[in-house]
Amino acid sequence: MSVAKLSSAPSSNWLPWLVGALVAIAVIWLLADLSLLHVLIEWLPYLGSGFLMNILISLLAMAGGTLIGVLLGILELAPLKIIRYPVGLYVQIFRNAPHLVLIFATTYIFPFEIVVFGHYLPFPDWVKAVIGLAIPASAYVAEITRGAIQSIPTTQWEAAKGLGFSRSQALRWIILPQCARRSLPPWMNLFASITMGTALASLVGVHELLHAATDASTAVRRLDFTVLAYIVVMAAFFALCYPISSLTRRLERRLKA
Amino acid sequence: MGSSLLQTFIDWTGRLGLHYEFLASGYEAQIWRGGFITTLYLIVLLIPISLLFGLLFAAMLTSGNKALAAPVRVFIEVTRNTPTLVQLMFSFLVLNTLVSNGLGGAQHNPLTPFFWVVAVVGLHVAALHADALRAGIEAVPEQTVEAARAIGFTRLQILRFVAIPLALRASLPAIVNNMINLVKLTTVGNAIAVSEITYASIMVWTQRDNVVELMIVILLFFSTINLALAKIGHWVEKRLAVPGFGVGA
Repeated sequence: MSVAKLSSAPSSNWLPWLVGALVAIAVIWLLADLSLLHVLIEWLPYLGSGFLMNILISLLAMAGGTLIGVLLGILELAPLKIIRYPVGLYVQIFRNAPHLVLIFATTYIFPFEIVVFGHYLPFPDWVKAVIGLAIPASAYVAEITRGAIQSIPTTQWEAAKGLGFSRSQALRWIILPQCARRSLPPWMNLFASITMGTALASLVGVHELLHAATDASTAVRRLDFTVLAYIVVMAAFFALCYPISSLTRRLERRLKA
Repeated sequence: MGSSLLQTFIDWTGRLGLHYEFLASGYEAQIWRGGFITTLYLIVLLIPISLLFGLLFAAMLTSGNKALAAPVRVFIEVTRNTPTLVQLMFSFLVLNTLVSNGLGGAQHNPLTPFFWVVAVVGLHVAALHADALRAGIEAVPEQTVEAARAIGFTRLQILRFVAIPLALRASLPAIVNNMINLVKLTTVGNAIAVSEITYASIMVWTQRDNVVELMIVILLFFSTINLALAKIGHWVEKRLAVPGFGVGA
């Protein structure tokens, strides 16, 4: 047995079978105890509304994080030190900070309402969670963007200059379009990671899936339902994140080839 | 001497509008310091645990034996695609309850919340390590292995002297990344009342209402640890760099 052939292929065709088998076991378990099935059906809309909150938070956090992050990534390569250093510090601190700490920070530091022209606008916790996750997302996107810009050969900048493009024109029309392709796989990885980070919002009282499951299991007070509720939570996140990560892996392989 | 230095710090930051007075109090300062120590302790404990299980999982993955590789593969996919907090809550609320019931009541259950944080985070990061190591082993060029065989190395010698050293070097950046992830993951312990730094901070700021002050220190704390980890990783990478592999100078 040669060492090079030691490894098994990462993509496997038995995984769908396994998932199918697990679903079958779950269905049999539920049918064996109809009262459990009944309770689960009763609570599913509540759990579903929680999961929609997870999806909403992750989409908004990624949108905000991407916009700010691309800008920061470009600024990280700015010719002026006075721009480059503060941006670098921001990225360094918030890339290394635990997501939970940032969610705590935004939740407890921001006020619960803001006054705009005499009107009191509520500032709900889930919006604070969005900001708390958008901050690390922007730091990661900045690094992804910087890495992608730096991976473009210098000759392209020179060629653009030779064709009479200014620095910002070269960036906009020649460099960034190439970066988009290269940054897609790491961006998707980040998307999956931020989506999973939304579960942390349950710790500051946002009504999302994990919070809903805890509520449900406290209300029902049955160990078998608690087990089931948390399995549903795991399955929901898995169903959302697994396709993203397997697609990322396929994209990475194609870009490498 | 030490206390006057502390007092200077409190006065100086007080003038900036930052309230660190609790540091001069006995109880709260002790809780907070304890939080930092618990977090550091978790990190120091989790790094070797995650590496050990990571190596074990990687060995199972690349053993060529489907019965060994398949469960690890499933475990990796599940840990990678579900939130660590959910895994922790599942372990603590479901597995821990089942253990308690099995032993006849929670009072006989020796497993503490601290144990569950170490187990969940340790195995989570081990799964990430295992995948990095697998990729490293796959990246060993087949010609190198053939050359080693041609000069008469046995299979074990090839693994020991050629494949594993090269694989470790190839997966080192990913492993350092996972370590940084590990440091950040220790905060989930907050959810099940392990008194790491975020939990201890909540204790202080509910009394003093000084969230900003504590947050500044926590952010600097995590930044410093992770910067140090990244620097050590770079240093090891440079020390171990093999000419002709990778892009490192």
